[in-house]
Amino acid sequence: MTAVTAIRREDLAPAFNQELNGILHLLTCGSVDDGKSTLIGRLLWDASDLYDDQRETINKSSNAATGGAHPDFSLLLDGLVAEREQGITIDIAWRYFDTSTRRFVVIDSPGHEQYTRNMASGASHADVAIMLVDARHGVKRQTRRHAAILDIVGVKRVILAVNKMDLVDWSQDKFRSIENDFRELTLRFGFREAIAIPVSAVGGDNVARTSEHMPWYTGPHLLEHLERIPSRDVTVRGAFRMPVQTVLRDGVDFRGLAGTVASGFISVGDRITDALSGQSAHVLRIATMGRDLEVAKQGQAVALQLDTDIDVARGAVLSAADKLPTVAAHIDARIVWLWETPFDPGNGYFLRTSTDLAPISTIAINSLLDLETLAVLPSEKCGVNDIANTTITLGRPVAVDTFADNQATGIFLIVDALTGASVAGGVITSASRGEADNATAFRLTRELLERGLCRDLGNSDDDRREFQRRANETALLLHAAGIPVKIEI
Amino acid sequence: MTAPFSHLDLLEAEAIHIFREAAAQFRRPVLMYSIGKDSTVLLHLARKAFWPQKPPFPLLHIDTTWKFRDMIEFRNKTVREFGLDLIVHTNEDGIKRGINPYDYSPSVYTDVMKTQPLKQALDKYGFDAAFGGARRDEESSRAKERVFSFRSPGHRWDPRRQRPEMWNLLNGRLGPGETVRVFPLSNWTERDVWRYILRENLDVVPLYFAAKRPTIVRNGQLLVIDDDRLPLQPGETPQMKSVRFRTLGCWPLTAAVPSTADDIEAVVEETLGARTSERQGRLIDHDQVGAMERKKQEGYF
Repeated sequence: MTAVTAIRREDLAPAFNQELNGILHLLTCGSVDDGKSTLIGRLLWDASDLYDDQRETINKSSNAATGGAHPDFSLLLDGLVAEREQGITIDIAWRYFDTSTRRFVVIDSPGHEQYTRNMASGASHADVAIMLVDARHGVKRQTRRHAAILDIVGVKRVILAVNKMDLVDWSQDKFRSIENDFRELTLRFGFREAIAIPVSAVGGDNVARTSEHMPWYTGPHLLEHLERIPSRDVTVRGAFRMPVQTVLRDGVDFRGLAGTVASGFISVGDRITDALSGQSAHVLRIATMGRDLEVAKQGQAVALQLDTDIDVARGAVLSAADKLPTVAAHIDARIVWLWETPFDPGNGYFLRTSTDLAPISTIAINSLLDLETLAVLPSEKCGVNDIANTTITLGRPVAVDTFADNQATGIFLIVDALTGASVAGGVITSASRGEADNATAFRLTRELLERGLCRDLGNSDDDRREFQRRANETALLLHAAGIPVKIEI
Repeated sequence: MTAPFSHLDLLEAEAIHIFREAAAQFRRPVLMYSIGKDSTVLLHLARKAFWPQKPPFPLLHIDTTWKFRDMIEFRNKTVREFGLDLIVHTNEDGIKRGINPYDYSPSVYTDVMKTQPLKQALDKYGFDAAFGGARRDEESSRAKERVFSFRSPGHRWDPRRQRPEMWNLLNGRLGPGETVRVFPLSNWTERDVWRYILRENLDVVPLYFAAKRPTIVRNGQLLVIDDDRLPLQPGETPQMKSVRFRTLGCWPLTAAVPSTADDIEAVVEETLGARTSERQGRLIDHDQVGAMERKKQEGYF
């Protein structure tokens, strides 16, 4: 029986009921051999508020595995039984720890080449990435691969943890040479910050405390550096965008367009535009359950009531009236293929943006990116773990930005229409209306649908959602029959 | 710009976003309501997500008939207060067979009285999505769980068939026969749940607060005797002790901890300083190595 030890109220004064200053999402990449799980385990062990029973479990299991030499910190991370037995991590694992001021989310991703997709999806959530190398081996092909993936999904800050410094006699020369290779490598990408730190995860050197073995290193230790990195959740940037998720009503006169502010901020009285329909209105009220707000900013979930009831629903992107997204039926994008089944031009796919879903007419694979040489290789095929440059034509325009302009509205998933699987994730490099391309396509118009397939539907929000759904599915069937379609509803 | 958000603001916004995404994409969602603190937070967030409307889905409670009486009372009060629809489902077959938490191993009991009826209820009402309060910090197999966790026909969870989730894009298109479990609290920790209950001033089941309760010690665990159904062994005489619960479930399977924390502030304080994780108090998880992972594959939450 374990008693919960009560601690004195005054000891807790700063922590009691404290809300932490934002959340930092931290991706770790590297292979087991580099000691990745050990590094993160060490960080949790030294810097965070682990529970006693967790520590006890680790101590107990470690005695069996390592003969009791030191705790096996990696056990804090490797989750699933199958993986534990194989000793590799195949799926992303999420860990949480708090320092005195901040919440850290550790996204632990597999390092093996065949898991590019897992790493890409893990990295898409990260504010910063720790890339791990073994001091004896330095920067490897895999490091280059990882840097390329991080760059593609938009990670702007990277840390190279040069691990196992104890095994190279804490050699400064060794570290400096690796640091140089790393600098050379990162210059090829769009990172905002890249730093190398010499560590020994097993001994805890420069993980959460300054190492006494490397007096020549005067930079921050890992945790110190992490504490200083701003998290992107609280960094408001970009023009106002709010993809509408759903419409909420109170049955009287409230009609709220509900969504999460994806970028920028909006104040009561501001003018917003729905780019898809071209309609504008002013914000009358920013409503939440507890209270109304004067301003809603990036990351906040709200419901906007407008001064005129413009006809928008789920899928619309409410935007700053003076800086609109592109209404695009034609998209150039870089995609990561995530699914075992390779791309098949005869298959039906949807494009999923934040809240919109549009049938895809064609996907043209232009080239594949060789992650190690960064060379672009012409290809028409694309399969699991491939990174491809593509041109996508949609059956109906969606409101998007380029990824460079806006990380929240420049992203999408490709969804397999039949299995529902998310087969690829992508970032938009350019977008255009692309009307001309679809000149020969069959025009699936509102009139056509209203006359037959959708004649039972009225004007309620539910019915409009259903109308949209039927239009999508019809386009998909026509596409499957080899007929190019353009939805005009 | 205005002051940055706290981590709770961010977690709240994320959960609301997830609720709205799921409600917009699935035909017939349901909220798995287990009455405990996580369900309390889950329900509060659902109300926030759809305000001024009521949440557009019913609550589902799988009643094993072994829940604490205080839990049932709290459940009924909550449903009344917020005007919600509640579906209560029990595995009648299990009752007939006399499956109880003390004669049967935790794994058999959980399967018959929790996992099976959950699947029965989901099938009976045709729910295609079920919101649950599971958190990734609870247990190592949950650390890899998705926000939209897909289940093959038969509600089986196959870790290798889970969809990658990129950015905050939530793809809810179901494949043939698939259903989904949705976890809006994925990124919350136990401590966040309590901090949020305090911040939002939420009512929770009184069992979370310390009070004098009749207790026995069995297998090193402190049990509170809620009625006279559990046969006592020689030497087990209930004694009044000041205890509370960190987690709630079926009463013969849920261990209490000695405590004097009798209000929400004291509980939060105790939790923030707690030295053991909450699942220590749940007997079913310690049954066997990888127990939770196996239960998940069989369709347990």
